[in-house]
Amino acid sequence: MSNTSQQSGQGKASGTQGLHVAPSPHISDKSFTTQRMMTDVLISLLPLILMSLYIFRMNAAKQMIICIVSCLVAETLFVKMRDRVATLDDFSAAVTGMILALSLPGTAPWYVGCLASFVAIGIGKILFGGLGMNIFNPAMVGRAFVMIAFASLMGAAAYEDPSSLVDVVSQATPLTALKQSAIPTSIGALFLGMTNGSLGETSALACLLGGIFLCVRGTASWEIPASIIASVFVIAGIADIAGSFSGDLLMHHLFGGALLFGAFFIATDPVTSPLTFKGKIIFGVGTGTLIMIIRLFSGYPEGVMFAVLIMNAVTPLINRWTIPKPMGVA
Amino acid sequence: MADQPTAMERFVQGILPENPVYRQLLGLCPTLAVTNGMKPAITMACSVAFVLFCANIVTSLIRDLLKPHLRIVVFTLTIATFVTIADRFLAAYVYQMSKLLGPYIPLIIVNCLIICRCEVCASKQSAFVAGADAIGQSIGFGLALASIAAVRELLGTGGLFGVHLLPAAWPDWVIMVLPPGAFITLGLLLGAVNWYSSRKTKNA
Amino acid sequence: MVEKVQKNNLLQAWLVLTLAFLFGMSLAGVQTVLGPVIEENKIRETMEKVPVVVLGEAEAAKIAHSGASLGIEPSRIAVEKEGRTKFYNVYDAKFNDGKRAGWVAKASAQGYADKIELLVGFDAAVEKITGLFILDQKETPGLGNKIVEDQWRSQFTGKAVATALTVVKTGAKKTNEIDAISGATISSDCVTRMINQTIADLGEELKNRNTENQKGKE
Repeated sequence: MSNTSQQSGQGKASGTQGLHVAPSPHISDKSFTTQRMMTDVLISLLPLILMSLYIFRMNAAKQMIICIVSCLVAETLFVKMRDRVATLDDFSAAVTGMILALSLPGTAPWYVGCLASFVAIGIGKILFGGLGMNIFNPAMVGRAFVMIAFASLMGAAAYEDPSSLVDVVSQATPLTALKQSAIPTSIGALFLGMTNGSLGETSALACLLGGIFLCVRGTASWEIPASIIASVFVIAGIADIAGSFSGDLLMHHLFGGALLFGAFFIATDPVTSPLTFKGKIIFGVGTGTLIMIIRLFSGYPEGVMFAVLIMNAVTPLINRWTIPKPMGVA
Repeated sequence: MADQPTAMERFVQGILPENPVYRQLLGLCPTLAVTNGMKPAITMACSVAFVLFCANIVTSLIRDLLKPHLRIVVFTLTIATFVTIADRFLAAYVYQMSKLLGPYIPLIIVNCLIICRCEVCASKQSAFVAGADAIGQSIGFGLALASIAAVRELLGTGGLFGVHLLPAAWPDWVIMVLPPGAFITLGLLLGAVNWYSSRKTKNA
Repeated sequence: MVEKVQKNNLLQAWLVLTLAFLFGMSLAGVQTVLGPVIEENKIRETMEKVPVVVLGEAEAAKIAHSGASLGIEPSRIAVEKEGRTKFYNVYDAKFNDGKRAGWVAKASAQGYADKIELLVGFDAAVEKITGLFILDQKETPGLGNKIVEDQWRSQFTGKAVATALTVVKTGAKKTNEIDAISGATISSDCVTRMINQTIADLGEELKNRNTENQKGKE
């Protein structure tokens, strides 16, 4: 995003000055603004939003309103503290709030969403210098904070809610059930999203719909989700064969948990992922491998959040490795 | 020696203008490690105060006898001795606290705050000034530890000194008593102190 | 004089040596005075808990109140396992009249975060668990560290030694089931596994000792 806003800035500058000299890339798409990207993301999130409203009803609506309002308030407040002009109209805070809400369980109490939003915007974004400067995905910073702070409210037990649509929802998440009690969930339910979990992660179908839209529009680079899913597929496949789960484990790891949601909507954040083709592939494979390592070998049933955060941290390094060298330089 | 600060100046400087944690960023290992509760933080502050005071006095008394290149050896020897005494003392009289603090009491030996004070003040000035300096720095260190511990314990467990203060509905922010909470709290308080002092200098 | 000390290398060496000697002496003094106190602290920590673990809180308080105390005899039991020898500290608790109150074994193993050290008590015939006490743990605050809480530990009291204990997540129903702490299955699992291991290692040995003692009396 730093790149895109710079480009749009160049576009404006060249309009006012007669001669404009700038380093490459010289071709900049004026329609490709932060605002357009964020609108795209919001549109692509629609299937997930509708699906989670359908499954979790009021819980979902409540969580989304809390997160978006808190994110907007936090953005206004912290930007003002830095004596800058508020940047609410680029929708980036709203997108962060929406993604954050979709990554939380609907039953988490109000202060969880509220605190996560303030941490996401305050520590995750503004502290680093605002939009385009942050190293870590803000929504995931906020989620990590509440995940550790209120582990018992965010764990499997938090998803139990008798007032929801389906009976299944009063159970542990599919990955937790499989990991700790070896109970597989039906693949159909996993794919449609009639299972328990965070708001946006349950429906594989909705994630695929929104995700493919994003990739087609070019707002998200397809290399990242593709390489994440491919590496998860390979590692989960090996684990499946080694553990003789006859496909259940593989399907669970692909369609259960936050894998698709994370791969399409979180890992693709252009600010915190590499710029080059090679870098994106390295980033995706690394994220996918870390997800599977955490899922298979750690105490957590889910690892998308930590995997993305860890890979965010090495993104500057990947960028340095893979930036194309000018011709003639050894 | 005319330009050396007096005992009173040394004492006052330690508390805020040259606060070991907020101004010099020294002794961060215990600052981060033992501030998940008021009790361990105060115990740590007292142990550091004892070691710092004794080390400063001893260093100051022998300062004229030493060749400069031997001083680090002697400082370390002195500090290690008093740290061991403090460690044994805690293990004998507050056994549970000593178990809780674990390796962090022996680690005072490598706390750069103490060697810094020996080097900057005690090896140049009289025992009286060195003592005043030690007390000032210790109070500053204690206040810094206590302020961080207060925030972390209050948010993390809803109480202070193990006594529950906030309403029962308070959701404990477990992250605050874990290591990440230490970094976040230190960072935010450091920012607050800097903001406050920069405003003060602007106004003045 | 001061000048002379600073200039002479030999005198400098002597100065450091003298200082080291003085510091060493003072440390030796501190250790002589405080060493026994510290040792006593360590022993007392375990010894104080032995009656509680064997008899339960109420009964132990009653005995302490009546002025009597359990005779506690520590011993070390070596267990040969897979070519390695493992040592257990075992405390043999007896009433004043010589009747055995029970056994307490100290066990330690890796938990979720760090080593967990615990005391587990058995009745005299080694048929039931009489209590559990966590001596040392560094599990996650708010989750794993709930293993020290009475409510969770008391589940173990009265469990039969004969069948291995299992941890379940959804309400213990069978007699050998233990409720996991929500969000801390691993810590709960570690403690339960340690107890199972201790029973497997020591159960027979303690039973043998018990019958031997009774034979000796007859």
